Formats: sequence, structure tokens, C-alpha cells
Amino acid sequence: MLLVIERDVRLFFQYKFIIIMRAIWFVAQIVLFGLIASNMMNVTVVSDYFRYYVAGLSVMTLYSAAIFIGFDIYEEAEHGVFEYLLSLPVSRRQLVLGRSIGGGLRSFIYVGPLIAISLYVIGSLNPLQFIISLFALFLFSFGVSGFSITLAVMIKSSDRFDILMGVLDALIVRLSTAMYPLAIVMKANPAYGGLATFNPVTFVADLFRWGTGLESIITIANPLLSLLGVVIFFGVFTFFGVVIYERRIEGGGWR
Amino acid sequence: MKRGILNIVEHDLRNFFRYKWWLAGLIAMNLADLFIMAVVYNFMLKSSLTAQIKSYFDFFAPGLAVTGLFASAFMIGREVNVEKRREIHHYMLSLPMSRIELAVGRVISGGVRGLIYMTPLLLTCFIFLGFPSLLQLLLILAMLFLLAMGISGLSISIAVSTGSFEKFVTARGLVYYTLFFCSSVFYPMSVIQSLGQSGQFPSILVTFAEVNPLSNGSDMIRNFLLGYPDFSQYWIFSALFFAGIFTLTAIVTYVKILAK
Repeated sequence: MLLVIERDVRLFFQYKFIIIMRAIWFVAQIVLFGLIASNMMNVTVVSDYFRYYVAGLSVMTLYSAAIFIGFDIYEEAEHGVFEYLLSLPVSRRQLVLGRSIGGGLRSFIYVGPLIAISLYVIGSLNPLQFIISLFALFLFSFGVSGFSITLAVMIKSSDRFDILMGVLDALIVRLSTAMYPLAIVMKANPAYGGLATFNPVTFVADLFRWGTGLESIITIANPLLSLLGVVIFFGVFTFFGVVIYERRIEGGGWR
Repeated sequence: MKRGILNIVEHDLRNFFRYKWWLAGLIAMNLADLFIMAVVYNFMLKSSLTAQIKSYFDFFAPGLAVTGLFASAFMIGREVNVEKRREIHHYMLSLPMSRIELAVGRVISGGVRGLIYMTPLLLTCFIFLGFPSLLQLLLILAMLFLLAMGISGLSISIAVSTGSFEKFVTARGLVYYTLFFCSSVFYPMSVIQSLGQSGQFPSILVTFAEVNPLSNGSDMIRNFLLGYPDFSQYWIFSALFFAGIFTLTAIVTYVKILAK
């Protein structure tokens, strides 16, 4: 299983230009969008929107990096690598679990330096809370990988998967507290607020802000509930991802 | 001359509609920005800014139409880059038309595709903000077509100047983010200018935002539909200049690459 994880991590870092592009996007979002947009915001609503946004941005980047494993699955099916993987001396379960863990781990490794940049920009840290929030980010990235694998094996066309992931990305990120506090989302539209309340991106974005220790930008009442939400998300999608992937790979079901 | 160009435009338009689901997905993503992000941002703005722009939703809708135009007009570069890497341009050269016709056709089709994609977004904008007069509508369409031609030219120039797809994607990312975030698409120009005056934002980027064709296109629609900012003839000259420069650059670089 370790070899499967290692392979997936190596595979990700072959996409050098895509990694560079996402890093450019991250920096551009901070120094251009974050800086300018924070000057439009009412400080009585969000006391420090710049820091609030930078913390949310780290979670958005982690989400989009973890999604990438689904695209690898299509690439492998198209190029006949799947058959090769099945011929390796590892069990189906090890292969599937390895992919899920590899997908989460590589996105976490990728986002690590970007999280360091955001911590530098935010300028504060509560060590104990940060370790807990880091653990939540870790589980979240595994959960998103499982989510991506689940959809990738259920949808046979890579084009449809690409479209669906784009639309889901837009909806999941915007209907969360990655970019704005929950109270404001509720005020803007209670339906949006209801969806944002149970969104895993909300849980992990709020936990990350809680981990930075900036009291003024924390929008959650109880961090434990958010942590529980992340654990449930991780459990459900890792389990579903593994079970569905395992079933699909038998008898050429990925084709 | 006209026939060859029309054939290329037709070929590219047919290709464009092959991605109809992809286009529908992109429009859905853009509308999510408008109906979720912009609606929530309405409740977070400074009161001084609200007095100036009334609502972020209204402010952002024209910017979104221009963003959509940009993204779809830029798609032609991706196709040209793929053709170049797979050497499909050898087949294109065998067609009974001149290289100039081929290059002009590609730039025009990129522009037309941009306009087609943008239409639902512009209509959404009109439905929520009100319809312009006929003259204003014609001016908006002319301005946006010029922008789309310039963007298409810029995209083709980058596509033929970059060897690999990865390099094209990276260059595209740099151009995208600089043009999007350093413009008045997401925020009023006055906010960028005040940041520049207080020294929080480099003056070179403030100037870039002011001359950015995406700013000019968004502000022109805002002027017609919302009554701000004040109309400037400079916007039209800027779009003409942008379209002229990049159409010419794309034609020259494309013909050059075809001749290799």
C-alpha cells in the first residue's frame, strides 16, 4: 500500500506547470484580490477581511488539489495503465485505499508551503489549536480525494467529470465560509446559509481560522462540532470511495 | 479572401459547439459567482462604497459578462497550441487558402466565439439591471467584439510562442490572473486608485488596471446600465488599440509559425 501511496505522490509532482500555476493563482489571490477586496469591506461586519480571506484561500487550494486524483484515474483508464495496476502484486483493497490516502497526502504536501505563506500573512498562531486544525485539514483532504474517486468511477466520461467537478467546486466553495462569515451568508439568503452550515469546507475553513488563534475572525461557536463534521465527511467519502472503486475495477467496470 | 476566412470561422464555430456541455458548465460556474458570491458580498460592503455602487450584485454583473467573454475568446489559443504540438497545422496548410486567410479566420472565430458564449451572461445582466437603448446596445456589442478579437489575438500569440502545453497553461494563468484581478471587473476603479494613492498598491498596477481593456469594457456597460462611472471616449480608443495590436501580433506570429 505504501508503494501505491508513493506512486500517487510522485505522479502529482510530475505536473510541474500545473503546480506552478496554482501557486501563482494563490499568490495573485492574496496580493491582488485579497488586498483590494479587503478595502471594500465594512470592518464592523468582518474586522479583518484580508486575514479572513487568506485563511479561506488555503482551504480552497487544498480542496482543488485533492480533487485532482479523479483526473488521474481517467488518464490511467484512457492510457491502459489500469490493467497494469491491477496486475501488480497488491490486493484490490490495498490499491484502492492507497490511492485514497495518496490523493489526500499529496495535496496536503502541496498545500503545506502555501499554508506556511498564509500563516506568515495572518501573523498569528495558537500551537495546540493549530495542530487540531491541521489534523482536520488532513482528514478533509482524504475525504475530498475519496469524494473525487467516488465521482470519477461513477461517471464514465472524463468530460462530464470535468464539468461536474467545476460546477461542484463553484457551488461548494461559494456556499461555505471560505470567503465570508456564516452570519452574513445567513443574512444574505437563509437557504444559502443552511447549505453553508453543513458544508465540510465551512467546517475546515472555520477550524483553520480557529487554529490561527485570531479571535476576531472566528465564526464558529463550537470547534468540536466542526471537527466532528470533518471526521464524518472523511469517514463517509473514504468508505464510499473505497467500496465503489473496488467494485468498479472488477471486470473492466472503469471502461 | 472572404470565402477562406468564412470557412475557417465556420470550422472553429463547429468545434466550439462540440463542447456544449462544457460551455453550459462554465456558464453555471459564472452564474454561481453572481448569484451566490455577489449576493453575499452585498451585505459586507462599506457604507461609503454602497452609496457609490448601490449593490455589489449590480456592480459585478457587467464584470462577469466581460470575464466570460475573456475566458471563451481565450479558448482558441488552446486549440491552436494543440494543433501546433500535434502538427495539425500541416493539414491546415494543405487547404486551398492563403496563410493570411487562415490566421485572420482564427482570430475572428476566437472573437465570435467569445461573443456567443458571453450572450447569456450579458442577457442576465440586462434582465437584472435593465436594457440599454439600441445605440448603447450596438456600442456595447462593438466594444465587446473588439475586446474579444484582442483577447483571441493575445491567446493565439501566446499559444504559438510557447512550445509545450504546460508552458501555455502557465503563461495563460499569468495573463488571466493579472488581467482579471488588476481590473475593475471585481472592484471599482476608485478603490484601486485610493489604494495606489495611500501607497498600499504599486502605482504601476494602478495604471495597468486603468488601461486594462477588461476594466474599460466593464465600465462601459456599467455606465450605460447603472449610470456610473462617467463615460470616456478613451474606452473605445483603448479597445481599438488593444484589438489592433493583438490581432496584428497574432497574424504575424501565426503566419510565421505556419511557415516553419
